[in-house]
Amino acid sequence: MSILSVRDLGFKYTKDSEELFDGLSFQFAPGKVTALTGPSGRGKSTLLYVLGLMLTPSRGEVFLHDQPQSSTPDAVRSKVRADQLGFVFQDSSLDPSRTIIDSVIEPTLYAGVDRKIAMARAEQLLEELGVAARSDHKPGQISGGQAQRVAVARALINNPAVILADEPTGNLDPTNAAGVLDILSKDAGTQQRTVVIATHDPYVISRADEVLAL
Amino acid sequence: MTLKMLLREALATAWASKVPSALVCLITAAMCIMTISTVGRTAAAEEQVAQRIDSSGARQLVVTDKKADGLISESIISMASNFSVIERSVGLGSPTDVKNLAIGEGATPVPAWAVIGDIGSVAQLEAGRYPGPGEALVSTQALRKLGMQYPVGAVRIANADIPVDFAIVGSYTPRDPFTDLDQGVIYEAQSGSSATNLHLILNDASQAAVAQGSVLSLFGQLADPEAISVRSPLQMAKLHDEIVGDLGSFGKSLLYGALGIGSLLVAVVVFADILVRRKDLGRRRALGATRSDIVTLMLIRTLIPAVAGALVGMLGGLGIAVSTGSVPPFAFCLGIVILALLSAGASSLVPAAYAANADPVKVLRTP
Repeated sequence: MSILSVRDLGFKYTKDSEELFDGLSFQFAPGKVTALTGPSGRGKSTLLYVLGLMLTPSRGEVFLHDQPQSSTPDAVRSKVRADQLGFVFQDSSLDPSRTIIDSVIEPTLYAGVDRKIAMARAEQLLEELGVAARSDHKPGQISGGQAQRVAVARALINNPAVILADEPTGNLDPTNAAGVLDILSKDAGTQQRTVVIATHDPYVISRADEVLAL
Repeated sequence: MTLKMLLREALATAWASKVPSALVCLITAAMCIMTISTVGRTAAAEEQVAQRIDSSGARQLVVTDKKADGLISESIISMASNFSVIERSVGLGSPTDVKNLAIGEGATPVPAWAVIGDIGSVAQLEAGRYPGPGEALVSTQALRKLGMQYPVGAVRIANADIPVDFAIVGSYTPRDPFTDLDQGVIYEAQSGSSATNLHLILNDASQAAVAQGSVLSLFGQLADPEAISVRSPLQMAKLHDEIVGDLGSFGKSLLYGALGIGSLLVAVVVFADILVRRKDLGRRRALGATRSDIVTLMLIRTLIPAVAGALVGMLGGLGIAVSTGSVPPFAFCLGIVILALLSAGASSLVPAAYAANADPVKVLRTP
């Protein structure tokens, strides 16, 4: 049984626009990092958002634990996103007005996790990712590499089955990029998590366990 | 999200967006100050007019037996007192002069009224006891005129063919609206006698028409319709309705205007805040917030500064109202606060719905 898979997938932004993915069927291996790659405009980020149940495919289906998800109501998809999916955005997307630890626990609000439990888990994650000392700082007071590690901590806070990362190293220098990829690879292996990274960076592609070229 | 989580998150969001929060607070405060200091004064005036019109003097219906034909009998007075719209019913005879028996002919006369019905409905006992047959009460004002230091002694009806004396057994002050009784003596009428005037105090001036019809029906078909006259608060009731209606419609126009403008401004502020923070809302959706979470969050986040503004506005409005001497009723102020909060909340719903339904992918991919 795969955690995440797609079958006969197609997507159109508008009714008359060109269909992306061309009936893609694919099973994303658990415990491995899969890189989505391809030329610009082929829909790497779009596929990531379709997998994240934020876009509805024009045909085909996204399965999570072999359950079809694309046609479920928005509230159900939101709940699935909160409980089973973790997002890492290219620009980290941390709330500039909140502290690091508040940003990390944000997904626990939507998953209905008790604040004390969430705080303890967030502190542990920040410790593991080497940014615990910055937990009460604002995003503007930390570096880009630290911000992206905080974003990874936020993605992991609800212990999701799947991590979806959109160009997570796009704004980082090679050292920080390697650090973030190390974390994601190690976590996928130890937690049997499915990690999907949309990227055009050859280094990231070289670090992936599988590559899905679009 | 649980309510506790929503409240905590909304509070943090409101604190993070200080300028929009301050603006919502300011607008709501202005709404409350404006309405309480203007519409509130109207409400205070309305209440004062209503109180005056609803005083027992304005609720009095008087039926007069013009020819003293004995039309207002004990039984009619008794039956009238049983009507549900009537608070008090009492008959009074025409006043007769009485003098202090101890002084004699040279004494100063004061008026005396025969009361048919409960004396307690026209007088408040100040000293002594209520009179029985052949006894009377003297008003505290008339004591001095009669040359009495205390309400003891006797009075005699002046110029009567047969001397009629009443022992004074106490003193009284007249109950509203029987202020005319302030200058004299009252006594219990003899059994079987009739009154010249039937005084009916209604529960409410607006019931004048019903009460008048009911009381007149007690007299049956009169041979001479001119034999009785009626002084009714019917006109007063109409005036009451007109004044309250005029003041009310004026106040409502002002209230709707203030709330409408305030709501529009709150909606603009919330919408601008949403546009500025659209990436924040898109991120929330991506991380698992439902549409209803976003709407509720925006609603509570707007209501938090609005509550602060409404309380400040209520105090400010009351301060202005106190300085002008027209303090509106507390219930009115509370109502304005609730209306202002409802307006602020309602005006945030449309921008909140827009935010909840915005495409999170488009928002997140917009630089």
